[in-house]
Amino acid sequence: MNPDERTYRWRHFTLREGLFLGFCATFIVLARGGLRLHLHLPGHVMFFTMFFFVLARGCVPKIGATTLVGLIVSLASVLLGMGTKGPLVFVKFLLPALLVDLAGVIYPSFVDSMAACALVGAGAAAVRAVSDVGLEWLSGMEEEIIVRKALITAAMFALYGGLGSLAVPSIVRRLRKNGLIDQGAGGVR
Amino acid sequence: MLSTGDYACQYVTRESPVHRIGGGWKIAISTVLSALAVGARSPGELLALVLVTLAYYFAARLTPSDLWRDTRFFVFQAVLVTALYCLLDGVQKGLWPGFRTSVQIILFYIPGAVLLRTTRTGELMGGMRKAVPYWLSFLVFVSIRFVPFFLRELEEIMAAQRLRGARLLPRQLMNPRNWGDLFHCLLLPLMVRALKTAEDVSRSAEARGFGTRKERTFFDSSA
Repeated sequence: MNPDERTYRWRHFTLREGLFLGFCATFIVLARGGLRLHLHLPGHVMFFTMFFFVLARGCVPKIGATTLVGLIVSLASVLLGMGTKGPLVFVKFLLPALLVDLAGVIYPSFVDSMAACALVGAGAAAVRAVSDVGLEWLSGMEEEIIVRKALITAAMFALYGGLGSLAVPSIVRRLRKNGLIDQGAGGVR
Repeated sequence: MLSTGDYACQYVTRESPVHRIGGGWKIAISTVLSALAVGARSPGELLALVLVTLAYYFAARLTPSDLWRDTRFFVFQAVLVTALYCLLDGVQKGLWPGFRTSVQIILFYIPGAVLLRTTRTGELMGGMRKAVPYWLSFLVFVSIRFVPFFLRELEEIMAAQRLRGARLLPRQLMNPRNWGDLFHCLLLPLMVRALKTAEDVSRSAEARGFGTRKERTFFDSSA
């Protein structure tokens, strides 16, 4: 990013970065909208969700970038009528986004490695299964059933999330090569 | 005859008492009904709640077909939950708890579906402006504003790449071997477009004084 660019109230993001993260959220909304009309495979929506989450971290290597995407997707989903889960829609997007950000703090250049991306994508996608656990527990569902169901859901999410994230390193590499994003994502800012 | 929405929880224009209730009241009703769904345990409580929730749903002049669209995902979940209960405790002991929990979960989501089906996006946006900070609502509205733009871009890139031989037809994308084309011929150009658009929009906004003051400002073209 240009060092002369002004940063805004969303802390250390420039307007350009903020808008780009907003566009990543747009793509997740588009993918969710498209997939809900055509496919009915459980967990497949995580394929594109994790791709754009991890890509957002690759293009804007700053703490909170993915969380901001998650927050925008949650709010946009509610506004566009995709928030059937009510307040849980925030948990379902924010939890995976926070995990991707956390992975970025622990291992800043994880977007350069396919294995690391797949691992982070799968882990973050699997965490989304937690979003239903609270409701099920409050509804009085047996703990063993909650765990078994969460495991099945988490496995499906992890599979698609991991596959979606696999493509990120090559995309980031090509964007860097053409000077569209910063060279190297090594430093956490 | 009532027309149905194309997908789950899509807003439908109808003349109904629920449509006329304010957004805030609908949120309050949804919260109460969802909380009751979580707390219901006995068959009597559950039956009463099913009747109240369905009455609320159909008072919005929504059709059984709308109800199926809104809840079908949870019906599939219900089958899984009941099957797991039966597997764990046997059919006799596991059927009722499995069924009860599944109904509770479906009842938890139906009021939210009514809210989305009967409340215009504009009303929800108005409510959101009061609840979230300006900078965040700005980013949310920009991302929603650009949905049609990127949809058009996506279609154009897809058409151009298909002419160049990229395997991007839905049928071809069912084969994982063609996913490379999806990422490199469709998503990569789309990201390039997104980065360029972010650059253009940010320059344009800053040239108009965006972000010079803490509070929200408006560009006056007549000045």
